[in-house]
Amino acid sequence: MNSTPHIVITGAGAVCAAGLGVEMIWEEILAGRSHITPIRSFDTAGWPVAIAAEVQGVDNRTLVEDRKLHKTISRTDLFGLFAAGAAIRQSGLPEFRQRLEAPAAATFDDRSGVFAGSGGGAYESNYEFFPLLTAAAGDLPKFGRELCDTVNPMWLLRHLPNNVVCHVGIRHKFKGTNACITNHCAGGAMAVAEAAHAVTFAEADRAVAIGHDAPIEPETILHFNRLGLLAGDTIRSFDQDRAGTVLGEGAAAVLLEREADARSRGATILGEFLGSGCVTEALGVLDLRPDGDGLSRAIELALADAGVPARSVGMIVAHGNGTRASDASEALALRRVFGDDPPPITAFKWSFGHLIAASGVVDVTLALNCLRQGIVPGIPTLRKVDPELPSLPVSATAQAPRGDSALVLCRGFGGMNVALLVRADPAAPSV
Amino acid sequence: MTPHRRIAITGVGMVTPVGNDAATTWRHLTEGRNGVAPITGFDARGFPARIGAEVKDFTDAPAIDPKLIKYAARAHRFALTAAEEAFTDAGIRPEPDTAHDWGCSVGAGMMGVSFSELEAVHAFCASEGEFRSQGLLDPRFPADPIAFCRSQTNTGLALLTRHFQIRGYATAVHTACASGGQALGTALKVMRRGRARFMLAGGYDSMLNPIGLAGFCLLGALSTDNDAPERASRPFDATRNGFVLGEGAGFLVLEDWDHARRRGARIYAEFAGDGNSLSSYRITDSHPSGDGPIQAMRQALDSAGLTPEAVDYVNAHGTSTLMNDRSECAALRVVMGAHIDRVAVSSTKSCMGHLIAAAGAVEAAVCALAIHHGIAPVNANHAKPDPDCAIQLVLGQSKPLRIRAAISNSLGFGGSNSCLAFRHPAEVAAA
Repeated sequence: MNSTPHIVITGAGAVCAAGLGVEMIWEEILAGRSHITPIRSFDTAGWPVAIAAEVQGVDNRTLVEDRKLHKTISRTDLFGLFAAGAAIRQSGLPEFRQRLEAPAAATFDDRSGVFAGSGGGAYESNYEFFPLLTAAAGDLPKFGRELCDTVNPMWLLRHLPNNVVCHVGIRHKFKGTNACITNHCAGGAMAVAEAAHAVTFAEADRAVAIGHDAPIEPETILHFNRLGLLAGDTIRSFDQDRAGTVLGEGAAAVLLEREADARSRGATILGEFLGSGCVTEALGVLDLRPDGDGLSRAIELALADAGVPARSVGMIVAHGNGTRASDASEALALRRVFGDDPPPITAFKWSFGHLIAASGVVDVTLALNCLRQGIVPGIPTLRKVDPELPSLPVSATAQAPRGDSALVLCRGFGGMNVALLVRADPAAPSV
Repeated sequence: MTPHRRIAITGVGMVTPVGNDAATTWRHLTEGRNGVAPITGFDARGFPARIGAEVKDFTDAPAIDPKLIKYAARAHRFALTAAEEAFTDAGIRPEPDTAHDWGCSVGAGMMGVSFSELEAVHAFCASEGEFRSQGLLDPRFPADPIAFCRSQTNTGLALLTRHFQIRGYATAVHTACASGGQALGTALKVMRRGRARFMLAGGYDSMLNPIGLAGFCLLGALSTDNDAPERASRPFDATRNGFVLGEGAGFLVLEDWDHARRRGARIYAEFAGDGNSLSSYRITDSHPSGDGPIQAMRQALDSAGLTPEAVDYVNAHGTSTLMNDRSECAALRVVMGAHIDRVAVSSTKSCMGHLIAAAGAVEAAVCALAIHHGIAPVNANHAKPDPDCAIQLVLGQSKPLRIRAAISNSLGFGGSNSCLAFRHPAEVAAA
């Protein structure tokens, strides 16, 4: 469609084990450094899996300065608010808004959207009831009677899955269309797609899209491991010895707006959003199709949405979560769409783990860096590409993109598959 | 701007505290039958609020595979059965050759872990006080992979798409009490953007368990009229003192208008508009001026191509809390202007309580049926007018009314506001 506006990205923010900010994470990727380390957040003595990619050594006040807020939100929200704040600041929109007259500023607020992919569903949130359960000793009426003397009155609010949407709104005066997408791993990538749609279809003039998650909890690791989803050492995407994924935590965010608006206020354009596709394979919570049918359909939809042929794609950031089944089906999907000549492929989870609801958004921010700097970083943990897989251009060392667009893939529980297509000018000013 | 694709509501399904199907729910709502009673699902005698609007004598629809039900928490079971009813009612459902054209959008509750599962973790890990992660490794700990599947944020979506073989766009959202409304709004947008020709859209929730009830008791949000449960939910009454926690599910089958007409489907109403805003004020408080909901209502009317004067019925959020009802009335007065004295308003929460993430979806179904049957359902339990809520409530009994257009509000903790607009099918030709 020629009449639809170009949607550009003018701000990006991220936090994960590999660093605070997109640039720091990018440097760690280029340096080939993995931030998968022994878990510190709980005692792993005796645990079969004792590694993750935790955000360590970062003070909560570095993430969110307002200490009062810390009492009413949870860890995942700190990450989400940090990333969203960084993306909004980088866009220069706060200064732009400050110069507006009051009525224009009110319109600006009402036309600013917030879309979050939220991990939600934490087990540990319920652990705040443990002292009460101990005191009640199985006596439910006692549990009810002593409830208000024992548990923090703000308990429910602290664990609302939509806290990031709410507090990004309050802190940045964004009051427009919004969604909190609780679709497991796909949530963040879908938030980017929905934010772009909201701007394309004039439901908002700009929108921030965030993915945030903090899944490194004992119960989650216990179950993921029992289901055979976790590796004991590292993530080896597409490697013959890949043994599973590793959980990470963090958040990423991008600010999307119309290209004309960004240019008229002289904003730095980090990249362009071209299109998206989203489908489910309809197999329930855990299963996925061995043939990669859902992923290839999502890619085809994203290409059609962008109105570009598969051969124009310059590079691919694969989901590459390192599990046997997901990587194998992903490889088949890529070959189905790109034939025997796919563009260079990489994946980033080897460095900072699988960020679950945040994974798709952090990959978008890094894909823009790849395109601007003309580097498709290698996967250092890749020793031997799985000979059972159809041949793919993945490498332990860096490749070069063969065009100015990148396909970013994101998959999750529920048979979810999301494909995003972004573009960036090579050698544009660094972030 | 290109004209909107028109979307028809051709199927309705509900599981609510006043009926286990849409017909019973509708009949009881129009009769003003009340669904609130002392909680029976667990021993709530010690809680400050020990009444609730429970779904009673629920049985799964026979068409739902019992193997699938093992993976379903209580709210998911409501969802599967309500969705089955909606498909049967619509006389259309995904087939192998149309599965990719079907999408699914759900407002999902925030609770995944059952109380007994939490008690097990407590018994093994924290019975002595401090949390010991090694307790989870105890061979006697009931680490049930099926329970893990039940607890994921998108489990309901995964089960619905699997059971009904919906293989297109799929999303789950959670914005607290606005979830159901936002899920439907998302579905409308997805269809208007051409991403799906058919959608299953709705919401489901059940927080009627010790932890869910505790969360709202801690906030003091619930009515503690434990000795008069049937009168406890009294939206807009001057003596209202909190909401009544309910549970249930509501689903709509949404269909491309022309397709529905061609196959001679019964069209309950046109799903005509969606408004979606953020109050960005405080996390639980609504702005006394109605700021936030005002923008959502105006957007919904605009999106539907309706003037305020064309609206004959408002299904209010009307939770029966002091603040919500006052703020919502303020917003309605601003949006409706002089027409506020002619538009009939009711909160069906007066009969069935607050279904949280399901509320917006169930109330959208109520609007569709209100238009179809030409009846504005009663706002029950209203005895003492509140001068701050000077609106034309449907009092005493339900009112026969030809409804040209209706709107439904859902306003959530966290400040997300959803307003949906519906038009009588006979008005479509005139529009």
